[in-house]
Amino acid sequence: MTAAELFRRGLRDHRRALAAWCLGVAGYVALVAAIFPSIHGSPEFERLAENYPEVLKSFFGIGEGGGLATGVGFVDIELFSLMLPLLVLVLAVGSGARAFAGEEDAGRLELVLAYPVRRRYTVLAKGLAVAVEVLAVSLAAGLALVLFDPIVGLDLPGARLAAALGTLAGLGILFGWLALAVGAALGSRALAIGVPAALGAGGYLVNGLHGLAGWLDPFRVLSPFWLVGSSPLQTGVRGWGFLVVLLLAALVLGAGSLLVERRDLRTP
Amino acid sequence: MAGGPPIETASLSKTYDKTVDALVDLDLRVDAGEVFGYLGPNGAGKSTTIRLLLGLIRPTGGTATSFGVDTWRRPVEAHRRVGYLPGDLRLSDKLTGEEQLESLARLRGGVDDRLRSELCERLGVVLDRPIRQLSKGNRQKLGIVQAFMHRPDLVVLDEPTTGLDPLLQNEVRTLIRETARDGRSVFLSSHSLDEVQHVADRVGIIRSGRLTDVDSVERLRERSLRHVTITFGEPVDAAAFAGVDGVRVVNADHAVLRLTAPEPAMDALVKAAAAHRVVDFVSQPADLEEIFLELYREPDDGR
Repeated sequence: MTAAELFRRGLRDHRRALAAWCLGVAGYVALVAAIFPSIHGSPEFERLAENYPEVLKSFFGIGEGGGLATGVGFVDIELFSLMLPLLVLVLAVGSGARAFAGEEDAGRLELVLAYPVRRRYTVLAKGLAVAVEVLAVSLAAGLALVLFDPIVGLDLPGARLAAALGTLAGLGILFGWLALAVGAALGSRALAIGVPAALGAGGYLVNGLHGLAGWLDPFRVLSPFWLVGSSPLQTGVRGWGFLVVLLLAALVLGAGSLLVERRDLRTP
Repeated sequence: MAGGPPIETASLSKTYDKTVDALVDLDLRVDAGEVFGYLGPNGAGKSTTIRLLLGLIRPTGGTATSFGVDTWRRPVEAHRRVGYLPGDLRLSDKLTGEEQLESLARLRGGVDDRLRSELCERLGVVLDRPIRQLSKGNRQKLGIVQAFMHRPDLVVLDEPTTGLDPLLQNEVRTLIRETARDGRSVFLSSHSLDEVQHVADRVGIIRSGRLTDVDSVERLRERSLRHVTITFGEPVDAAAFAGVDGVRVVNADHAVLRLTAPEPAMDALVKAAAAHRVVDFVSQPADLEEIFLELYREPDDGR
């Protein structure tokens, strides 16, 4: 299968940036973890958090369980509620948009697609490369947590942490493949970034606000963030929701790989 | 070996946005062992035709087949036997020339290393430097190598010699002739008659999306006009020259006569001029744009 070469190339072309991403995310996680001991010992922080406006508490999942003073609550609130999904999604969407629409914009697909490789396999191979990048960054975040846990005393449950990292990667793959598929289907790098960014922001808002704004509540199932569960360490991940996210990701990538064969390749 | 000629199109058309006719009802056939030159000014539809032949864009009418395989419906099958050099070649800037060719060879499912290195040697390809550091000509050489390296039965080259120095242009022409001698075919686009006339067997001329003429190179040259400027020792009667078949007097200014003449008229023209004292005689081939105009004026004069 010659499309394997495209997978290889996708990773190779991006290997330095990916290494930097992994180091950066791991560094950020380590920095946040290092703050924990000073918060752990002071009840003032807990009271401070209790006095946050409801909107903020809702967004960051404060009060879902242990709160800031416990390791699981701290990591949920400080990392899994916003920063880690945000970082992984930025990487995933950038990588997905670049993989097809970006290459097409640069005129580099003109040659590749004149080789004996089906366009759909080109998209799937690039999708695999995006997934590997997302997994690598999620793993880097997890590794940093596992390494720092004994030092700062987060006391994170292993199984839940693994599940949390799994959902993090799942979200990244969903939005990364969405960017790849939109780029493949429409040939526009702007839309390949814009569509997942808009849907990501919308999904995040719905998940953060559905508890406060009653009319939003029925729409919460449309948010991938709600589907996987937003306090994964405190309340666990939503297993069926995670499967739905993975299924959606596969459907989106499949649709993109079929639609790309129906349109004209663009010239820069 | 699947049947069918290397290239065959039937009423092949491409209309962009339902209004822009980039290519209209192209009927074209290129046979095995033939070098076909595809000539036209910029924006005439050369690249559109080529991208249809490669299945990169979808025809809005008609079909394009390569060895009997529809290039849009079964691109992978068609691509196996074709080598392609895009008109606007973009390579992976971060890779070295060697890595780029290796990668493309793997994308083909493996090619003959010997042929590849032989081609690199002939063209003097720079292999060990990142592509972003290479000049336009050196990139173009990589593009030419990848188009030929799997010994394809059909090579499609979109303006192949842009950016190459004359010596290399010559080498590429030799490569094209060798390919045809093997019984393989080359489809070559250009905006300059000069570039294809020494290498092509037949030439097609496209203008505003329409193939206006297909002819052998010899016939086309016969039909194409020369600009002739004759400077005489004394004023002459221009009417005497206007009588020669096919000759038109553009301008007669005392002793300087400007004419246009087809190649077959040159002999009579020279002999007519020899009746007077000639100071200078300059004959230049008309550029392609003028040949187009001439072909438009006399779509088929039966000569």
